[in-house]
Amino acid sequence: MSDDAVNPEAVRHVAELARVDLDDEEVEAFTGQFADILEYFETLDEVPEVEREAALTNVMRPDEERDSLDREEALRNAPETEDGFFKGPNVS
Amino acid sequence: MTAQTVQQGDLVTVIGLEVHVQLETDTKIFCGCSTDQTDEPNENVCPVCLGLPGALPVLNEGAVEAAVKIGKAIDADIPEETRFHRKNYYYPDLPKNFQITQYDEPICADGDLEISVEGERRTVTIERAHLEEDPGSLQHVGGGGGIDSADYTLVNYNRAGTPLMEVVTAPDFRSPGEVRAFLAELEEVLEYLGVFDAERDGSLRIDANLSIIPEDEIESDDVTEIGEEALAAANRTEVKNISSHKGAEKALAYEETRQKNAIQRGRAVEQETRHWDESRGITVSMRSKEEEKDYRYFEEADLPPLRVSHWKDEISIPELPSARRERFQDEYTLSEEAASKLTSTKQVADFYEDVAQEFDPDLAATWVADNLLGELNYRDMEITGIESRLDEVTRLVELVATDEITAKNARETVLRSMLDDGRTPDEVVAEEGLGKTGEDEVQQAVVEAIDENPDAVADYESGDDGAINFLVGQVMQKTGGSADPGDVNQLLRAELND
Repeated sequence: MSDDAVNPEAVRHVAELARVDLDDEEVEAFTGQFADILEYFETLDEVPEVEREAALTNVMRPDEERDSLDREEALRNAPETEDGFFKGPNVS
Repeated sequence: MTAQTVQQGDLVTVIGLEVHVQLETDTKIFCGCSTDQTDEPNENVCPVCLGLPGALPVLNEGAVEAAVKIGKAIDADIPEETRFHRKNYYYPDLPKNFQITQYDEPICADGDLEISVEGERRTVTIERAHLEEDPGSLQHVGGGGGIDSADYTLVNYNRAGTPLMEVVTAPDFRSPGEVRAFLAELEEVLEYLGVFDAERDGSLRIDANLSIIPEDEIESDDVTEIGEEALAAANRTEVKNISSHKGAEKALAYEETRQKNAIQRGRAVEQETRHWDESRGITVSMRSKEEEKDYRYFEEADLPPLRVSHWKDEISIPELPSARRERFQDEYTLSEEAASKLTSTKQVADFYEDVAQEFDPDLAATWVADNLLGELNYRDMEITGIESRLDEVTRLVELVATDEITAKNARETVLRSMLDDGRTPDEVVAEEGLGKTGEDEVQQAVVEAIDENPDAVADYESGDDGAINFLVGQVMQKTGGSADPGDVNQLLRAELND
């Protein structure tokens, strides 16, 4: 996103990428909110430079198996399941 | 999207590849879930690979080692520092709504791989190879099962998080056949490195970019050098959903013909993504996907950068297939064809060398390349399937080398019985009575055959030389086929001419 003020077209594009269906009223509401949120980030410009923490590198784990979740547990938050699968709408 | 028309005339095909290979690690790239392929959906999942809030990915050292081995094998640079990015897109195979991948600093850059196409050596430039996570798998259910007509989708995240290496080539290929040769060579190299299992379902997936340009845009004798402008001016299609060497050759041959036909009829080639439909043997246009900027790549803050360039010196890799092929030709004076067969997998090459150390290298080559691989191939088996029984194959070669059984019996009876009913060579030889019959026994059978067949003897003595064949047959029958027919013939003549 550029520095230009947020326009409805940009909001529609982002919504499309996120597969969210917005009506015209929502587009208008979000256009304002997007602009506000981007403004908050400008506040960061006022934060003074600080010393960075020593950078981490090469954080790795050995290739060793650990227990996975029980399937019941893994599927617990899904609104719909079938035969151990998560179930969702057609995604063409 | 812009349309493109090309002047009629000689046309050249230009192809570049993105090859996704699953790395053979025990666990996923960012969590300790198993990478085993199980029939049970959503068995090997955890908060990390399900993308649950607050889960922290931690990089699998084994995947990084595999990537460094690949880099070394393709003579790539392993940069001082390499890091991970998030590629954002929304699709249910991706539970986090982003894929962790590498963007501007891949782990391998600027490598190459030499291939042989119709006897000619070609070097294919590998622009980059990077680590990323595999998405989950989807099943489109109902409505005929097609992706567009399905009623609903079932999602299985067992595959999500399996380590992938994406290998990106320069647009160096000029024919679908070259692509196939490259994929075969790449697969061989990966198997030699022990980082890849070709037998695994879906372990190799290919996207290919194909465009057609006029021949006079090739700037020099080197067919790999094509002007960047010509390439930029030509519309290309990206063909997705290719999953094998053969599939790649077929899909790209189809796409090549489709584009050439369009150009020759004065129609435009659209720049688009197409889906290879294996069962129908055609490519079909896909709904246009995001542009690169829509992926909104940004640095993965949960994964600190990697500094592993020194691993290149610390990790060793085995002799690679092309080097081994050449050595086999020199050291064992094998033909190029035999050397290729014998180096097709590391297991085959290792086994050949074991046998060739003990016995005559030519005999070993015949036994491993022709007899063993031939019989395995006929049964749709791989050498890996009989790994624990290779000692028995060596024993069989020994029986032939020491003249204890005939080569014909060894090949047609013993080897086949070993593979079909699991008996050892010594068991087959004993139970089928295949041991070469001793000389006394043969001599005795010769005398018996002469005594029992006075008519044939009379015919022979009256000048009918053909009668000897009948007598040879009788002796062979008496010895159960284990005598040497040439020897029998001579023994009979000696006895009769006495």
